[in-house]
Amino acid sequence: MMEPNKDIWVFGDYRNYFRNRVTLQILARATELAARTGGEVCAVVFGHQVDEFVSEYRAHGAGRVYVLDDPALKQYSIETYTFLMCRLVEEFKPETLLVGATQFGKEIAPRIAKKLGTGLTADCIDLAVDEQGRLVQTAPSFGGNLIARIITPNHWPQMAIIRPGTFQELPHDYDAQGEIVPLVLPRDLPADKIRCVTSEHRPSRKRKIEDADIVIAGGRGMGSKGKFKKLFELAELMQGEVGATRPVVYANWIGHDALVGQAGKHIKPKILFSFGISGAIQHTAAITNADFIVAVNKNPNATMMKMADVAIVADANQACLGIIRALKERIRV
Amino acid sequence: MLNIIVCIKQVPMVSELPWDSKTGTLRREVAPGMLDPASRRALEAALRIKAGQPARISAVAMGPPMAEEVLYEAKALGADTGILLTDRKMAGADTYLTSFILGELIRREFPDFDLILCGSQTSDSETGQVGPQLAEELGIPDIGYARRVTIVNSSVKVERHVDDYFEVLEMDLPGLVTVDLAAYQPRYAPLEGLQAAFESTDIRIINAKALGLDNTFNALKDSPTRIIEVFSPTARKENRVLKGAVKKIVDGLFADYGKVISGALGKDLKTYAHDGE
Amino acid sequence: MDFNPCTKHQLIRKSVREFAENEIKPHVSDLDREARFPWEIVEKMKPLNFFGLQTPREYGGADLDTISYAIVIEEISRVSAALGLCVTVHNSVGIYPILKFGTKTQKTTFVPDLAGGARIGAFCLTEANAGSDAGGVETHAVEVADGYVLNGTKIFVTNGGVCGTILVFAVSETEAKKGLASVFIVEKERPGFSVGEIEDLCGMRANPVSSLFFEDCKVPHENLLGRMGQGIKIGLSALDTGRIGIAAQALGIAQAAFEAAASYAKERQQFSRPISKFQTIQNYLADIATEIDASRLLLYRAAARKDSGQPFSAESSMAKLHCSATARKVTDLAVQIHGGYGYSKEYDVERYFRDAKVTQIYEGTSEVQKLVIARSILSQPS
Repeated sequence: MMEPNKDIWVFGDYRNYFRNRVTLQILARATELAARTGGEVCAVVFGHQVDEFVSEYRAHGAGRVYVLDDPALKQYSIETYTFLMCRLVEEFKPETLLVGATQFGKEIAPRIAKKLGTGLTADCIDLAVDEQGRLVQTAPSFGGNLIARIITPNHWPQMAIIRPGTFQELPHDYDAQGEIVPLVLPRDLPADKIRCVTSEHRPSRKRKIEDADIVIAGGRGMGSKGKFKKLFELAELMQGEVGATRPVVYANWIGHDALVGQAGKHIKPKILFSFGISGAIQHTAAITNADFIVAVNKNPNATMMKMADVAIVADANQACLGIIRALKERIRV
Repeated sequence: MLNIIVCIKQVPMVSELPWDSKTGTLRREVAPGMLDPASRRALEAALRIKAGQPARISAVAMGPPMAEEVLYEAKALGADTGILLTDRKMAGADTYLTSFILGELIRREFPDFDLILCGSQTSDSETGQVGPQLAEELGIPDIGYARRVTIVNSSVKVERHVDDYFEVLEMDLPGLVTVDLAAYQPRYAPLEGLQAAFESTDIRIINAKALGLDNTFNALKDSPTRIIEVFSPTARKENRVLKGAVKKIVDGLFADYGKVISGALGKDLKTYAHDGE
Repeated sequence: MDFNPCTKHQLIRKSVREFAENEIKPHVSDLDREARFPWEIVEKMKPLNFFGLQTPREYGGADLDTISYAIVIEEISRVSAALGLCVTVHNSVGIYPILKFGTKTQKTTFVPDLAGGARIGAFCLTEANAGSDAGGVETHAVEVADGYVLNGTKIFVTNGGVCGTILVFAVSETEAKKGLASVFIVEKERPGFSVGEIEDLCGMRANPVSSLFFEDCKVPHENLLGRMGQGIKIGLSALDTGRIGIAAQALGIAQAAFEAAASYAKERQQFSRPISKFQTIQNYLADIATEIDASRLLLYRAAARKDSGQPFSAESSMAKLHCSATARKVTDLAVQIHGGYGYSKEYDVERYFRDAKVTQIYEGTSEVQKLVIARSILSQPS
């Protein structure tokens, strides 16, 4: 029986690869953490014909990749993957297991944690280790109004879900020599109680707000659904994307796809225009990677205004109209 | 008769709670509670199932005594019964223990359940973990982020859109489904239903002892995760404040930050004489 | 004595507020500007029992207590006073008299359509020469073999333009001499009934207040509400109840104006600080909050007395008198706090200001309320 070791495992979430690089991002931070704790950074990959991803993980920091390659694993499956991951964790005893906050990751990590009898921190926006080598997980908490640092002191393994875009992936290392550990599918794999009737790749056709260089975000301060629509005109002029806060999405001013926040999209634009947003942390935590923020709010004391590079004290709707007018004058055709 | 359990939660009504920077605490007491929006959609899914076949809907919530309100609301919306789990010993439970407590209740009160519905994430903590962990606790399969939930023979059929995949899945019952915020436009509670809910005796309150949890149970202490520090998101940067007439502000914005804007835009902007003012 | 709202009342308030904020608020300013009645919103309100607030379940209502009723009206009026007016008039003077004075057949015939919202109710007393003085009613009822023939003109009828079932105050020849009157139930399909022009009013513009014409309008005997000559009694009883609704409506307007003023005062900067930092503004806000609280307590007391079967005529007059005065005062101060913006249609407070005034006029003017209150005081044994 092995003792728990210092290894940090990262779940290899390769579906939508290229569009979603959260696994690579986590590998990068895991590499820094492992340098302090002395463990190995390992990626764990389940699937069929996944060589390409295995190489990618090696090239981006994985010192070891556990691979379970089998036709039976062709489709992502919560039940099967949960079973396999728990089996492997119990066998190899890594100290830490990290999962990216894709929707699949957010579905499977809680089950794994529960099955292993350990804690789990959702939606981490930072990871560190303390003097005792414990994983310090930073995540929005208390209704999202605060940020908390969390540890898992007495349970094993330490588990966290990491928000995409939180860390920078390492450059591709063509000389990476990470070890590859092929594994065999256990025979006692339980029957899957979920059957897939259809599964269709349907990437959103729209430009993605996550990748947009310019984001125009609006909150309740825009006043009404009708006035909120002006943001689309501004976005059109700037070739940016419109984002929204939760109250606005709940009020049906815009679809859920536009939600910028903890439960929605995390953005990293070069410039963010924020109209009539007071700045609940669910929202502000998702915009920390914006390079430059222009916030408009009638209330100069709003959190969003304090976060901004430029804080405009004005009615959001009026300011939006003013900026539209000014841009029309200035954009060369 | 399909036996459906809907797990619901009371959350603070405002999206931003006042944060007292002097004491470093959150003024939770100033916010009235409401039925969590995703929970409400889970209940809506149950009500739509019930509209098509014989079903019994039991709403279950865990929280402080004031959270009984969401059970009356669920009852007004069409749930048949409600149970509130409330006890100081349960306060501070993380998702691991919350799913354990809910599991204990379901094993005790609803051993013959067919389907459990939860919101895919609550609006206050947004972890999205309790649903899957409750499924694991009960040893049943779960599907997350459902946009449509229907019953086909003895299984549940779910449509969902996750990670850029549109999927139709079927799951054997008993099972658990978490319902996405993008699913369904939930109904409003009729006034007659609200009045009737308060005349009914279908809402029960259960504490730790009644649930059979022993005296040493303490959710805050027993939770595997521990919060070691809490802080408010910090202010950043230069924070230049512009105020006055909108026209003046906008001209000032382009005068001083035209480069930043044109850089992001990838286009040159014309400059105006008054941009230099 | 417990001054805390119970869970039921809290939940009813939240539910109605949510509906009003989501479904009514986005349209309020357009409805006011266009003086348009929102049938599409009424459609959404029907299944939620807004048109049968205190109607028993057997007739399709919600069977609410009177405090709940007041809360519902307050919350609708907080967003749209004109729609609050429609709902309260429909429920209090449109349905309540039938429930209280109607026969079993009249209840089963008329109430389900009203309570389900299929027909909007109205109550018409006021005429060119009759208002506070119900004795001045000139609309005539003549009994014929198969019913009554009505002739006359009613003015300023709330819900007039959209009503389906109308309670009409009229006098017969014998009654006229004795100062008596009777109430008839008239369906809008009756030949001889017609609706006049919609009034162009200062406020409450989304409610189609109009004149109603009765020209040889015949109704069968079974449409007489109560007995011949019982009209004044029915009318007074309806108005006692109606006043609670109007008080709640005024309170809703005051509450909306208060919220707008408080939020504006915190946002508006003058001399480099929010105007809420100035003592004058603080005094205004403190006065407003106190008046509103006092109004609410008076209103709920009147409602509670009605529910417990105690006399509540003087109490509902006090509530109506004070709530409507509060609405006037608060909307005035809310405009004042907003300064020039308050006088602009860009902001809601100017609408609150216009809507508030009529609450001191209809359902018994403030002067008449004082009369009722004074009579009650003077009738006490000394």
